[in-house]
Amino acid sequence: MNKPPAWTSREESLLLLNAYLDNELDAASVLDVERRIGADATLKAELGRLVELRNALATQVSKERASDAFRQRIAAIADVPKGSPAAAQRTRPSGRSFDWRQMAAAAALAAVLASAGTYVALQQTASTGEIAEIVAGHQRALLAAAPFDVASSDHHTVKPWFDGKLALSPQVVDLNDAGFPLAGGRVDVVDGKPVPAIVYKRRQHVISLIAVPHPGSTDGGEPLTHATRDGYFLLGWPGRDFHYTAVSDLAQPELEEFAARWRSAATR
Amino acid sequence: MDERQLFAEVVMPHLDDALSLARWLTGSVTDAEDVVQEACVRAYAAIATARSNPRAWLLAIVRNTAFTWLAKNRPKSVVVTDDDAVFEKASLEMIDRSQEMTPEAVLIAKADSEQLKRAIAGLPLAYREALVLREIEGLSYQEISTVMSIPIGTVMSRLARARNLLIQRIGMAGKGKAGAA
Repeated sequence: MNKPPAWTSREESLLLLNAYLDNELDAASVLDVERRIGADATLKAELGRLVELRNALATQVSKERASDAFRQRIAAIADVPKGSPAAAQRTRPSGRSFDWRQMAAAAALAAVLASAGTYVALQQTASTGEIAEIVAGHQRALLAAAPFDVASSDHHTVKPWFDGKLALSPQVVDLNDAGFPLAGGRVDVVDGKPVPAIVYKRRQHVISLIAVPHPGSTDGGEPLTHATRDGYFLLGWPGRDFHYTAVSDLAQPELEEFAARWRSAATR
Repeated sequence: MDERQLFAEVVMPHLDDALSLARWLTGSVTDAEDVVQEACVRAYAAIATARSNPRAWLLAIVRNTAFTWLAKNRPKSVVVTDDDAVFEKASLEMIDRSQEMTPEAVLIAKADSEQLKRAIAGLPLAYREALVLREIEGLSYQEISTVMSIPIGTVMSRLARARNLLIQRIGMAGKGKAGAA
């Protein structure tokens, strides 16, 4: 087209600026964009506006919350077995029909009952029961006002908090530069014992990192163990005196990136 | 695993996300509930095709259901969805105010919730859905590309334009208010 070259490059700069803000650039492009920002006050001002916009959206425009009544209506859709209209008469018992405990219990039962080859989603060292508990803890945290009990982006605050609360000191690493800021910590219960859960964020997503004590354990570079449950991904790996399990609704590659960066920072 | 169980695992955890997307596509929570309910019926019918990213899978169904709903109930709003000529006109504009203290940034920071929501609602549909998928649902570019069935390059330009328009509109609204006061 007849656009002046400067305009084209300006438009390209803006696209790159947005991708930069969204953490979607590779390392080389990040350098390139940062160089452009440094050399161009207009770009720098634009980035400032984009950051303000993002902050405003994050704080002022919240997600919708499905009401209990609506959840029940949706859950009831699956109460009607396909091709069997007669069964449509069956209704759920009154009260809360969607409940994470029932879901977790049903999932555990289904996993036990499932015959070989029907559905293989679990290949992990954590037991099926632990997986269900970890996911349940994560879901419960998401339903709460905040997914953590202590809010801090400073690992020097979160680590002593666990120490004071549980007399346990899991590693709390800072991954802010990698785009996984620390959000805080909470206590979950796994296998009847309170365990630290470190909370990280990725954009709007929450990552819960559950640390189950395993004295003497170390990170020997073992491959990640994978599991899925209730639409959440879980990745597990051994660390110093703890076994770590990350759970999130992030897409699998991003959660794998989180695990890789966390392990590399923890063993540094 | 039976289909009922699969539905509980694949669909139920993402209802808030589904509702949020539908709310911004249709404009109201009531309409959004209708759309999500219809989408979940479709999702249950197709539950065997659920993929490794169940949230993106469900959001794609919600999006398609919302478009069907819009075509029926708000026929005027969808006509221009994929008309790239329209987007071409909405060229990116960067105002050179580098010497000032970026007044837009100040206005955006002061924008209240209602102002922001009005500005989002006023965006053309194709920009609005890209923005909502990114800022409210927190999807990656790759996921947005899957949900909207568009190339990643188009995701990038729609997002950039959506934000550009928001900044301009909030900036103007803020100035109007200040002038009237």
